[in-house]
Amino acid sequence: MIGAADRANRTAIGFALPLALLALWQALGTTSQSARMPIPTHVAAAAFELVRSGDLPLAIAQSLSRVFVGFAVAALIGIPLGLAMGAFRSFERNIDPLIESFRPIAAIAILPLAILWLGTGTSAAVTIVAYAAFFPIVINTVAGAKGVNPTLLRAATTMGISRLRVIRTVIVPAALPAIGVGLRIGMGVAWTAIVAAELAVGAKAGGGGSGGIGQMMFVFYAYSVELNRIIVCMIAVGLVALALDRLIRFVLRVSMPWTSK
Amino acid sequence: MAKGAPAAFAGFRRPDAQVRALASRRARAASQVLVYMRTMAVFLIVWALIARITGNAILLPSPLAVFTAIVGLAQDLELFLHAGISFARMVASLVVGSLLAIPLGLAMGRSELLDRVVDPTIEILRPISGIAWIPLALFIFGIGNALPIFIMTYAGFFPILLGTIAGVRSVDRRLIDAARTMGIPERTIVTRVVMPAALPSLMVALRLGVAASWTAVVAAELIGAPSGLGYAVEWYRELLMTPQVMAFIAMIGLLGYVCDLGVRALARALTPWAAA
Repeated sequence: MIGAADRANRTAIGFALPLALLALWQALGTTSQSARMPIPTHVAAAAFELVRSGDLPLAIAQSLSRVFVGFAVAALIGIPLGLAMGAFRSFERNIDPLIESFRPIAAIAILPLAILWLGTGTSAAVTIVAYAAFFPIVINTVAGAKGVNPTLLRAATTMGISRLRVIRTVIVPAALPAIGVGLRIGMGVAWTAIVAAELAVGAKAGGGGSGGIGQMMFVFYAYSVELNRIIVCMIAVGLVALALDRLIRFVLRVSMPWTSK
Repeated sequence: MAKGAPAAFAGFRRPDAQVRALASRRARAASQVLVYMRTMAVFLIVWALIARITGNAILLPSPLAVFTAIVGLAQDLELFLHAGISFARMVASLVVGSLLAIPLGLAMGRSELLDRVVDPTIEILRPISGIAWIPLALFIFGIGNALPIFIMTYAGFFPILLGTIAGVRSVDRRLIDAARTMGIPERTIVTRVVMPAALPSLMVALRLGVAASWTAVVAAELIGAPSGLGYAVEWYRELLMTPQVMAFIAMIGLLGYVCDLGVRALARALTPWAAA
């Protein structure tokens, strides 16, 4: 049994190192001569300003909307495809080589092609997100669909249920936890991919107005050289990543309570 | 003796059964290759047809054009040069990342106090993807070798660290207690008991680390390096030489796949007892 005092003590230990690092950073920053050197107090001020002016929330909202669209596309293609692959052995054998051939190609590597085909706007970014999220979703769905207890499948077959109905009533419920894992991993990569895509578009397409948090970071780097603001964006990227992970975990727990550990 | 006997004789199966098992395994592997070729052939034909219909060599070159580009780039060694640079960067950053993450992970896995002190800092930094560091790192390091290596080291660091900690934690308590009972010093316990027991988990972590840093290298080179596969892809896109773009994209996939195979082979060689 952990007492309240003990728990407070643990929290204090956990906060000690980050606080010490912040203090060290502040001390080093204030003693350095360079005016551009970012220091925690300036970062906090920059964060306040970026939030108050609405620039940062707007950029995050833009990136998030792309992530959600791309993620939805990936899930809508990946889950049915994965279920079909898991349910029909011959289908899996024939499609798997394609998936395994494209899986090692990082989403960012596709970006130049996406820019070429779709321009530097939202559709290229959404494509990158969908591509990145597709692979974890499809692979986990296949694993889940193949991991169905064979006794259940045999029982269903014995009762003369059609193949489609087996998928709907046996395979899908059994594969749901694995699909959930795939969705969670997919969401993580989707967010990383959107930041990378927006950064690269910003860097390589003459800074075009694609918007989003990645673009914003690149503008702060290339045009105004405001390191404090870049750090605000980095922190925002981390916080959104955490929030997205919590959100999807919450949704999964509510929608399939029997899978939660 | 009686209990051990069946295991000892397990190798003496009827020879014809053994031959048949081997033959069927070979046949399965051969048919797998066949299916792979068939699927890819269908893919290439569909691609060629779409390319023919599109009729725009810049937007969608035919598979043949891409193949010609691959041969050309291979002949003047450009393909291998950029691949070698990216690969060397990844190896360098994996070495640096491992040298940082494995000792820290061992220490954090062994000491609960250290874990409690360091873990929150790790958890604060971890959600910030390596790619989000690129603008700041561009400012600090400029364009060159240091930037991709830093980004890749950062990207590979977290999976390796977490895998090491998990591996150390999963070591059977009784093994450590037994070693301690025999009066073995802590350092020897770590090197002779904890490390071998944690190795399988570490190899899994290394695989994740390789995957993470390979993804990061493309992004880092695309934006901030004067060489490497990511740079080459972007360079040929600006020249609108799409066959070359696709050739380098294929190389990124191929090398990523080969790296994964390499780590898996390493895992099998180092930890033959853990089914990888």
